[in-house]
Amino acid sequence: MRLALIFILAFLIGAAVFANGSYVERKLLRADPDGVPADPALRRFALRRGQPAFVAHCAACHGVLGKGDPAKGVPNLTDSDWLYGTGRVAEIEQIIEYGIRSRNSRAWSLAIMPAYARPHPNPADRNIRPLSPGEISDLIEFLFRQQGRAADAAAASRGAALYRGDAGCYDCHSLDAKGDSAIGAPNLADAITLYGDGSRDALYQSIAYGRQGVCPAWIKKLGAADIREIAVYVYSISHPGEMSNAN
Amino acid sequence: MPTDQKGKGTPWRDPTRVSSVRSFALMTLGALIGLFLAGYSLFTARGVSTLSVPAEDVALVNQQPISRSDYLILLQTLYGVDLSHATREQRQKVLNDMIREELFVQRGKELDLASSDPEVRSALVNAVELEISQDAITAEPTEATLRDYYTTHPDRYVSEGIMNVRDWVFPAGAPGDMAAALQALKSAVIPPETLARLHAHESGKTQGDEFYFAAKIHLGDQLFASARDLSDGAVSAPIQLSDGVHVLYMVANKRPVPFDFDKARPQVLNDYRSHAIDQLKAGDESFLRKRANVRVADDLR
Repeated sequence: MRLALIFILAFLIGAAVFANGSYVERKLLRADPDGVPADPALRRFALRRGQPAFVAHCAACHGVLGKGDPAKGVPNLTDSDWLYGTGRVAEIEQIIEYGIRSRNSRAWSLAIMPAYARPHPNPADRNIRPLSPGEISDLIEFLFRQQGRAADAAAASRGAALYRGDAGCYDCHSLDAKGDSAIGAPNLADAITLYGDGSRDALYQSIAYGRQGVCPAWIKKLGAADIREIAVYVYSISHPGEMSNAN
Repeated sequence: MPTDQKGKGTPWRDPTRVSSVRSFALMTLGALIGLFLAGYSLFTARGVSTLSVPAEDVALVNQQPISRSDYLILLQTLYGVDLSHATREQRQKVLNDMIREELFVQRGKELDLASSDPEVRSALVNAVELEISQDAITAEPTEATLRDYYTTHPDRYVSEGIMNVRDWVFPAGAPGDMAAALQALKSAVIPPETLARLHAHESGKTQGDEFYFAAKIHLGDQLFASARDLSDGAVSAPIQLSDGVHVLYMVANKRPVPFDFDKARPQVLNDYRSHAIDQLKAGDESFLRKRANVRVADDLR
């Protein structure tokens, strides 16, 4: 008899925990995503479930710690540099749901980095002309100068003219080379590099042969709660100070 | 087996006795648990009629959910505000727009617009293709798979060759000794008196370092084919073309070099995905054709 009572008690406790989890999950889904980090109960709930979900679905590319891999062009999610958007939970959630160049019609896929050493640098835009090897070298010197590194002055000046003119780089990366997070164009004037180590060789590789990284759309594979929990977790690893203060 | 006996302690707790109280309590508990599980499944499962709006949605239109996430995105896109900063009017406007869109989509299905409107048909075809592509992109290939793909397509992962070539043109019937001109060309600078004697000039088709594809466009297929094989400092044999005799002097020729896997990896991954997408599309089309009942008119068989 005692065993039966223990079983019933355990079942009731389990049911209560399940019901509470379900309640908090509904609350999490109905909350303003950007307000979740400031709500201790929701934040704890989301982080507890978001971390394992991140490891299961995102770590294959971004790494278990979310630090990315410049050799593969996978962005570091633990810094404050955001390629797309400004790092709000809602924006992270949108990327997880619809991806980047994921072939989902709602994905962020407005631009690609053209391959300037190919006859047609961007097949979707025939107005972009290829560059010569010398022009690519000039652009690299210009970017070095923008980053405050030693550069060939004459080549950098030629590169600046190309950047703001014929090569059309300004169109995505903006005139000051600080990028545009609305279309995922990286800041070229800082020391953070998405691909490679920021050397001349790595820059040459990007300009000559192009880049178009992809993040899959998870909307068909993961539930809405999973996606929000991962988004809150990613926010937490990129805003460690804010999260520890909130605790 | 003994049954309930009044006045003898609490027989319902004794498992060796039959107790109608215990039976009733357990039956009630079982029924309640069953109802709870059935109710939970019923009101949370996808595709069932429900009176409550699921937490991940903002509305149900004829049981068709409108995603909360899409609602937030639209709110941000239209007004540049998040949910907490949006006014009641803004929230209502976005919600009404989304409900209106859903109603019209549903009406479009009722009217079977896909059978008559070419734009709807085209949009549907694109949407199905994108859907197939997404599945291929979500499946992350292993490093071993990518390396296999890289080794089986070595021609794709090479640098673009670069050449710096000078193209001298001599009149077809130029007087003088062509051999002397060829010899002079090897110094890359032809003495003016030689040029004058042979009436030669530089074509100006090429300008310094050029990628192979650009040099091919500028020189033309025949001259490029000859130039590609020249080593640094080499001079081609005279090439007779309609505008005269061409002689190429190769200043520098950097032939295409294979990229190692690490350098090529981003491109390998993109190519692998494109290949997987093409295969999936072909597979899906084959499956659709197999299960479809397609009859073709006699005159077109």
